[in-house]
Amino acid sequence: MLMPKKTKYRKQHRGRTRGVAKGATSLSYGEYGVQALEPGWLTARQIEAARIAMTRHIKRGGKVWINVFPDKPVTEKPAETRMGSGKGNPERWVAVVRPGRVLFELSYPDGDVARAALERAIQKLPIKARFIERQEGF
Amino acid sequence: MAELVLTAETGRDLGTRPTRRLRREGKVPGVVYGLGTDPATISVDYGDLRAVLTSDAGLNALIELDLDGERLLCIVKDLQRDPVRHDVTHVDLIRIDVDVEVEVDVPILLVGDARKVTDESGMVDQAMFSLSIYSKPGAIPNEFTIDISEMEINDSIRVADVDLPSGVRTEVDPDEAVVLASVTRSTLETIAEEEAIEAEAVAVAEAEAGEAIEGEEPAEPGDASDD
Repeated sequence: MLMPKKTKYRKQHRGRTRGVAKGATSLSYGEYGVQALEPGWLTARQIEAARIAMTRHIKRGGKVWINVFPDKPVTEKPAETRMGSGKGNPERWVAVVRPGRVLFELSYPDGDVARAALERAIQKLPIKARFIERQEGF
Repeated sequence: MAELVLTAETGRDLGTRPTRRLRREGKVPGVVYGLGTDPATISVDYGDLRAVLTSDAGLNALIELDLDGERLLCIVKDLQRDPVRHDVTHVDLIRIDVDVEVEVDVPILLVGDARKVTDESGMVDQAMFSLSIYSKPGAIPNEFTIDISEMEINDSIRVADVDLPSGVRTEVDPDEAVVLASVTRSTLETIAEEEAIEAEAVAVAEAEAGEAIEGEEPAEPGDASDD
């Protein structure tokens, strides 16, 4: 699963996710992609599940790009623990996503198969997302 | 020269709220500059802008901008879009001279079916979707088409292989790849996984067959096997 090799600080504040994505809002590498429509956190497991779902569907002859990286640690306190005694332990890594962000890109010769693969990937995500394809012009 | 006429209004109010009001009225705020003139803030009708930019020339269409009765030859320099709705929120128009070269991005279109590549589980990866060129406004091509039907695995088509019409030049590195035909890493992994599963299945079948032979009594000749 995706996670940083090392970090400067072990724990982070949760923060607020306001506004829309200010970059990576269009396709850069592939012909098809998945674009987030609402803000949220994608965990490394969800990203991996989406990747597996689409690569299993296209089988062979395609190329996948993952445009998000889970670089934010999320902490949890152990079960049945009283409040206090400091912040919990880092349990998982998430990518902070804002609306408009292109999450995955895919190149595949057959557009219908590519759409089906990306729709499967969308099913693994905790946020609303849509299939997009490259279009030149207006 | 330019047949596409776009009427623009000058003197729009600046700032976030007046600009949002303008967009709600179906207009697109913009700016026109170039040829040493001061930039002028304008607004154009969304439908009119869409009409002039959906011709064969696409985003590189030569536009005759009707600015308070004055006709200016322009092209679109930049379009800002809403990241979610994808509608145009701002347009930059640059004034051009018919005798002076302009830098524009021309889309690259792949045609044909790379059978030899797909038959070997490979794929054609388009690494460059548009080529930045210098050309006089009248000679800007609508698109570059590249035939990929003769490509084989590990072939590549580079910028130097793109046929540029006369009067068109590019400063992009000629060795930069436009299209690559290859077997991707994920495909190689998939093939390796499939081969491993097949090898395991064969090994299991052989082991079961070996156990069955060891467990059987040596059969007498003429014995019925289903007794």
